[in-house]
Amino acid sequence: MKVALLSFAHVHAATYIQLLRDRSDIELIVTDPDADPGDPTRGKALADELGVTYRAGYDEALAERPRAVIVTSENARHRTLVELAAAAGAHILCEKPLATTEDDARAMIDACERVGVSLMTAYPVRFHPAFAALRHTLSDGDLGPLLSVHGTNNSSPPALERPWFADPACAGGGAIMDHTLHIADLLDVLLDGEQPTHVHAVANSLLTSSTDGPEVESAGLLTLTYPRGLVATIDCSWSHPATHPTWGGLTLTCVGERALAEFDAFPPLLTGYDTAQAATRWEPAAIDLDAAMLESFLTAARTGQRAHPDGETGLRTLKTALAAYASLHTGQPATITAT
Amino acid sequence: MKRLDVAVIGAGFIARTHLPAWIALGARIRIFSTDDQAALLSEEFGLTKTACLDEALDGASVADICTPTTTHRDIALAAFAAGADVLCEKPLALTPADALEMAEAAHKAGRLLYPGHVVRFFPAYARLRSTIRSGALGRPAVARFTRTGRYPTWSPWFADTALSGGIVTDQMLHDMDIARWLFGEVVSIHATQRGHLTTHDSASAPEGPVATGSATLTHDSGVITQVLGVWGPPATPFRYTFHVAGSNGTLTHDSIAHPSLRLTGAAGAQAGAVPTGDFGEDPFSAQIRELATAFQGGPAPRVNALDGVAAVKIAAAARRSAATGLAVAVHDAAPRTLTEGSPR
Repeated sequence: MKVALLSFAHVHAATYIQLLRDRSDIELIVTDPDADPGDPTRGKALADELGVTYRAGYDEALAERPRAVIVTSENARHRTLVELAAAAGAHILCEKPLATTEDDARAMIDACERVGVSLMTAYPVRFHPAFAALRHTLSDGDLGPLLSVHGTNNSSPPALERPWFADPACAGGGAIMDHTLHIADLLDVLLDGEQPTHVHAVANSLLTSSTDGPEVESAGLLTLTYPRGLVATIDCSWSHPATHPTWGGLTLTCVGERALAEFDAFPPLLTGYDTAQAATRWEPAAIDLDAAMLESFLTAARTGQRAHPDGETGLRTLKTALAAYASLHTGQPATITAT
Repeated sequence: MKRLDVAVIGAGFIARTHLPAWIALGARIRIFSTDDQAALLSEEFGLTKTACLDEALDGASVADICTPTTTHRDIALAAFAAGADVLCEKPLALTPADALEMAEAAHKAGRLLYPGHVVRFFPAYARLRSTIRSGALGRPAVARFTRTGRYPTWSPWFADTALSGGIVTDQMLHDMDIARWLFGEVVSIHATQRGHLTTHDSASAPEGPVATGSATLTHDSGVITQVLGVWGPPATPFRYTFHVAGSNGTLTHDSIAHPSLRLTGAAGAQAGAVPTGDFGEDPFSAQIRELATAFQGGPAPRVNALDGVAAVKIAAAARRSAATGLAVAVHDAAPRTLTEGSPR
C-alpha cells in the first residue's frame, strides 16, 4: 500500500517515517516543500537522512494516488493539505490538533465525507492497553459513578525544536492548543463523546517569557464541567524541563464513588543514573503508542473502514481548547454548544 | 519563661494529635468538651477535666481550640476575654467576617491567635518553601497540589457543608494556604465541589460517602496553582502530592512514593492510618513546639492570624465559585492594617 507523508513541520513526521519506512507492506513517499531549503532538519535533507523517497511537492506526491496520507504540517495548514489529499481520494491521518478553528475542522470533515475517505485525528494515547483496561474498569462499574477526572500532559516547550509552535498564526495558540487535546480525547472515550458545557482556563507565559516573537501561553490549567455535573481538570503546561531525559508525560486520575484509578501513559521501564551524561536514566516503556495508532489507521485505509478517532472527535476536542482561549479572554468559564 | 497552662477545648481527632505534643513540652493541661470524649482523653493522658468552658479557660495561658469549625469564634472570643492566647484548629472560621472578628479581638486584647495550618510543618512543604526562597527553582510559574484520604466519617459534621464548608474548605484550605505561602496573594479563584455533601435539610451522608473538589488559583505574582482534594471510599490511603515548575526546573513530592518503612503482609492492612509525613518530628508536634515558643515570648512562628483570615477568605471565595460556576475575585485576602501594633 502506498502511503504519502506531507510536510515535516511537526516533529512527529520523523517518528511516523521511522515506523513506516522498513515495512515491506508499505511504500512510503514523503514531501516537505514548504520548508526552508537550507534547513538540514527539514525537506530533502531529512528525507535523505532517514532514507525515504522524496517528492518535490504535494501535487507530485498525490499524483501517485497514495491510498493513505499522513498530514504533519503546521496546525493552521492542516486544512489545505487534508482537502488536497481528500480530493486525491486518500484516507487521511491528520496530526493533532485537527485544525485551529471550528470552521477549518468542519470543512475538513465535510471534504472527507463527500469523497468517502476516512479522516483520523492523531491521538495515540487512547491506544494504550492500560487505558483500555481503565475504560473497562469504568464500564464494569468497579469505579462506581465518576465524580471527577484529573489529567496532566506536560512537556518541554516544543518551540525549542520547532519555533512555529510558539507562533499563534501557525499553531493556533500555545500550551493549551498543544496539550489540552490528548486529555480531551481520553475524556471523549471515557464519556462516549459527551462534551463539556463549560471550560474555565487560566494561563501564563512565565516559563518562556524570555523568548522572542509572539508570546503564547506556556502554562495552563483548565476546568471542564459536564451536563450531569462531572468535573475534569487538565494541566496542559509546557513545564517539563528541556534537559530532562524524557520529553514529559501524561497521567489521568479518575475519582469514582467506589474507587480511584490512576493511569500513567508513559511510566519509565528502567530508571537509574548515567555517569557518562551526568544525568538520570529514564528508559521508556516498550509500548509504542504511535505504532499502535498507525496500525489502526493503516488497517482502516486498507479495508475502507472508518478510522477512529475520527474528524468529529478531532472537532469535539478542539472545541474544548478553543473554549479555553475564550475563557482566558473573559476570565470566566466559556460555554460550549454540543456539536 | 511563662508556664504553659493549656486549655484544650474539644476532645476529638485533632485534640488527640495535639495532646502528646503539649505533654512533651511539659504543659499543664485541662480539657473540656461538650460530649463525653473529654472524660476518655483526660483519663488516658492524665489531664484535668473541667465542667464548663469558663472553668477550662480560668487561669489558662493558652486555649487550644479543637472543636467543629462553627464553634471556633465564640470560644476564641471567650479565651481572649479570659486572657489566654489561642491556637485554633483550621479553618479559623467558616466566614471571613468571623475570622476577621477573631483576629481583631486578639489584637484588641493584646493576645496571640494562630491557626493550626499544620501542613506548613510537614517536612516536604517546609523544604519546598525554603528551596523556592533560595532561588534554586528560578521563577515559579505553575503548581499542582493534591490531597487524598478517606471521607472523614468519624464525625458527622464534616459532611454538612453548613458546618464544615465541605471538602473545599475543610480539606483543600490546607493547600490553598500552602499556595499562598509559596506564591503570594491570591487574586482570583475558580473552584468545583462534588459528591456526598449534605446540608441541614437533607438526610445524613450515605454509607461510603465520597467527595471531590478542584480549585484554580491565580496569584498576584502571575503564578497559577491547581488544588485537588479527594475524600475517597473507606480504603483510600492518605496521600498528598505536589508538582511545582519554575524557570530552573521542577520540584515534586508524593507522600506514598518513597516510604522510609514499608510493612506488608499483615492482616487488616492500615488503610486509613493518620498521616505524619515521615520519620523525625511529627508535624503536629513541630507545630505546637513552634507556637508554644511564640506564646512564651519567643520569635514569631511561620504562620499568623492574618494567614488564617486569608485562608478563610480564599476558601469562602472557592465555595462561592463552586456554587455559581463563576470565577471569583479575592480582594484583600490579608488586611494588612490589622497587623500594625499587633503582638505579631
